[in-house]
Amino acid sequence: MTGVTTPQGPVERVPVLEVENISVAYAAARGAVRAVNNVSFTLHKGEALALIGESGSGKTTLALALIRMLVRAAKVTEGRVRYVKNGAAQDVLGLSEREIRRFRWSECAMVFQGAQNAFNPVLRLSEQFSDTARAHGKGDRAWVKRRTLELFKLVRLDPERVYNAYPHELSGGMKQRALLALGVLLDPQVVILDEPTTALDILTQRAIIDVLAEMQDRLGFSIIFISHDLALAAEMADRVATMYAGEIIETGTVDDIFYEPLHPYTLGLLRSVPRLSGSQDLISIPGSPPDLISPPPGCKFHPRCPFASERCRSEAPPLEDFGAGHLAACWHTDRVVEARQGLWSDGAVVTRG
Amino acid sequence: MQTSKTLTGPPPLESGWLSRVVSSYAVRTLLQALLTIWAVVTFTFFLIRLMPGNPIDVYVGFLMNQSNLTYGEALQQAASQFSFDPNASVFQQYLGYLGDLVRGDLGTSITSTGTQVVDQIARFLPWTLFCVGLGLLISFVLGMTIGMLIAYYRNSVLDTAVSFFASVLGAVPDYIWGLLILVVFGVQLGWFNIGELRGTYDPGLTPGFTPAFIWSVVRHAFLPVLVYVIGTLGSWILNMRSSTTSVLGEDYVNVARARGLTPGRIATTYVGRNAALPLFTLLAVNIGLVIGGSVIIEELFVYKGIGSFLFFSISQRDYTSMQGVFLVIAVSVVVANILADLLYSSLDPRVRIEGER
Amino acid sequence: MSTPILEFRRVSRSFGEGRAAVPVLRNVDLSVNELEFLCLVGESGCGKTTTGKILSGLLPPTGGRVLFEGQDVSTLKGEAYGRYRRAVQIVHQDPYASLNPTQSIFDILRYPLLRHGFAKNHKQAHTRASELLELVGLTPTADVIGKYPHQLSGGQRQRVSIARALTTQPKVIVADEAVSMVDVSIRISILKTLMKMRETLGLTIVFITHDLALAKYFAWEGRIAVMYLGRVVEVGATRDVTGRPQHPYTKTLLSAIPEPDPDRTRRKEQLSLRSEDVPSLTELPAGCTFHPRCPFFEPGRCDREEPELEAVPRAESDARVACLPLTEDGTLRPYGG
Repeated sequence: MTGVTTPQGPVERVPVLEVENISVAYAAARGAVRAVNNVSFTLHKGEALALIGESGSGKTTLALALIRMLVRAAKVTEGRVRYVKNGAAQDVLGLSEREIRRFRWSECAMVFQGAQNAFNPVLRLSEQFSDTARAHGKGDRAWVKRRTLELFKLVRLDPERVYNAYPHELSGGMKQRALLALGVLLDPQVVILDEPTTALDILTQRAIIDVLAEMQDRLGFSIIFISHDLALAAEMADRVATMYAGEIIETGTVDDIFYEPLHPYTLGLLRSVPRLSGSQDLISIPGSPPDLISPPPGCKFHPRCPFASERCRSEAPPLEDFGAGHLAACWHTDRVVEARQGLWSDGAVVTRG
Repeated sequence: MQTSKTLTGPPPLESGWLSRVVSSYAVRTLLQALLTIWAVVTFTFFLIRLMPGNPIDVYVGFLMNQSNLTYGEALQQAASQFSFDPNASVFQQYLGYLGDLVRGDLGTSITSTGTQVVDQIARFLPWTLFCVGLGLLISFVLGMTIGMLIAYYRNSVLDTAVSFFASVLGAVPDYIWGLLILVVFGVQLGWFNIGELRGTYDPGLTPGFTPAFIWSVVRHAFLPVLVYVIGTLGSWILNMRSSTTSVLGEDYVNVARARGLTPGRIATTYVGRNAALPLFTLLAVNIGLVIGGSVIIEELFVYKGIGSFLFFSISQRDYTSMQGVFLVIAVSVVVANILADLLYSSLDPRVRIEGER
Repeated sequence: MSTPILEFRRVSRSFGEGRAAVPVLRNVDLSVNELEFLCLVGESGCGKTTTGKILSGLLPPTGGRVLFEGQDVSTLKGEAYGRYRRAVQIVHQDPYASLNPTQSIFDILRYPLLRHGFAKNHKQAHTRASELLELVGLTPTADVIGKYPHQLSGGQRQRVSIARALTTQPKVIVADEAVSMVDVSIRISILKTLMKMRETLGLTIVFITHDLALAKYFAWEGRIAVMYLGRVVEVGATRDVTGRPQHPYTKTLLSAIPEPDPDRTRRKEQLSLRSEDVPSLTELPAGCTFHPRCPFFEPGRCDREEPELEAVPRAESDARVACLPLTEDGTLRPYGG
């Protein structure tokens, strides 16, 4: 279960992005909001890493920090981001304004939530593809056009029609696919997807998932995708990191996280998601996420945790390795192991078309 | 199309043809324009006749005093000069006026006997269009630039100061600015010899592309144009600021930054172009306002444009001329609106589609 | 069977006039039975929200009839009409837009209570409002009642919306995507509150959603109506519709949904659409409107006549389906196969 095989085949463990102890704080009237706290992870070549968690857990802030697109009020207070390409490493947080501009999109593209407004409404798609290339010194028009048409085909859009279209002439699903094509225009090593299918219809969402899988297969980029949709993570991710209150509280392979969760919060999330197959009872996590200006002492999840003990209230658990890269930050993983029994024993029939 | 989506059958061929013509953009716009002009013309026609004092009576009285004519003779002379039938009802006069209008005949001026109103308008209108157009162009460009700049630095000291300044500019009516400029620069500081700056150019110069003539035109137009700029600048700044602020929050601007586009490219093509769009609609409204406002400004600076001509006509109760000027104002506002629409649709591809349908 | 509490008979609704008219609903037949949990499921543009608005009287239909307890609502006058409007309440999708930001929670609940005579004075209104807040799980009520919407979280606001809907002691609650804007874990607890109220207060619930998994979970004892481009294409007991889907559209939808179970979702068989483009409502395809995308399209049959809801012969499912090959032959043949 804990192997590193994926549906696409074995993944070489070549790191492309190494995030070390990164913290981000926002300046607010009441004090500093510690939106991301001491987060570390490594993204490998060709791998899809899902960051899951509720809104306000710091997923998007973390992603924005990686490409240095945080709002003015937010600062990276500590940590390091190393980007590795062809064996050479770059310190992303140390790049100059000009270097980071070049870094964005050509090395690491970020596709934001809400593709509906991602394109400038007054420019044709072709212009938006070519000005992206030009900004990165790839001004060869013939090359840009050829590459653009090729990518449109890859995302299953009618190349000729879409090339000269204005954004409003495309449907929501088409815009989302065009944005994915734009995302890989410069052949980045890393693509960050923020809620790539939220607000899309089921069938459109399916088309996006399939297109993404095919693109990743062909182009071999790595994905960090941010979602609150566990089903999407189950389908697309090789590895999953659960975030809570700005921290990664559990990380492991997709099978580790879904079948053998070790953190009560991950277990809580899994129990609150309705499934098409199976009819297990849904249990919501009581309470609400903590105030990030003055978070609770000890483990930040303890006020909502069914297993909270005295120790949890005073001492924050470290992210500990439970074997084969499955990490969790909890004093009572043994109780989670007990409680997760029965999570999958509903014996329901898979719905098939 | 054979789905059961409508309960009624398909529309008859003829009405389909008619509705297609009416719904075509050009025809629809033209019909709307004509309707607007007709409404304004009708309104002003009856408004003028509701005012106390009949212009013909005034002129008849003037003739009787001047030339010792009897009332009947004077009335006859007046009627022959203005193609005016004193026995006709107001409604008959209205029909006659509309008939003349359709033939392009605006009638003759009452005070400048024998002068065609059309000729008067042709003489005065270009100067007003020149001043108003230039003033609006300058304030539009200036306002957009400043508005965008302070939106980029919003909540800074610069923004607070400029926004305050712009609110003050916008809150004070343009004729007050006119008076202030006249009193401060013309009378107290004496920077401008306002006595010399009467009219649209120095008397004695022959119009033509000579440096002396152009310099004269510029000197005479300077103060009115300045007032038009000051009077409208504040609203451009504030509108552009709020428009830019909302565009800066749009996803596509954020995505453009993530795409690594240069700040210059983002500011012009992504932010500027989209933020300017709503201002073009305001431009049309402003043209009407400023032309209307030119009545007082031109009178103030003794600038011989259409506004000053209207002021003169009112004081002389030259009602045919007044009607002519109102018509011109209505037409220019309508034309400005159409131009702004066309400009808007050439800048915003989303509007083009609607026009085609 | 007793008279449905709400019923659509050939209800149509279009927006706009003449050539520009957009037919959002076309000849929809639908009944809502007393005390049932009915889910309207479909993708955007299928007409589910319009259906909800017409059910609750917020929007008149442009064709057909809406019956409330067997009576045509367009013929109801005065008090009878008031009774219908009070009996059917809607909870909107966006808890940020549907609560007036200048009113306190107490004001939001007080006005309908006083206006419809469910409270005679300020004191009664206060007592009743506290009861309602307790009912929807906003406790301690004293903490909430004086607050303004912006001081509450999305989930709490949505509970206030539900409490407001309850002020008129309705029989039916139409919940339009009522939980799609709140987080997963909060979503479940709100829905559980709704389910509990259904039992204690004897409510009929019409739940509008695009999330089939959610519909399946909460309407397990109830029914699901699947809508596509302004028509109901399949309606039946939840266990039939989700477990043994009949209509090609329902089958495709179910096969497309990812599942929060890595093995299962990877193994899941996919039904591929023949086209990913959703037809425009103003240029609907002839015959069955799903035919250009349907994996089981039969040329010459599906593109001629628009199918009506009928039972499927020899099927294990009791659902009624709008699909000619199914209702006439009881079977589907893959297109081109």
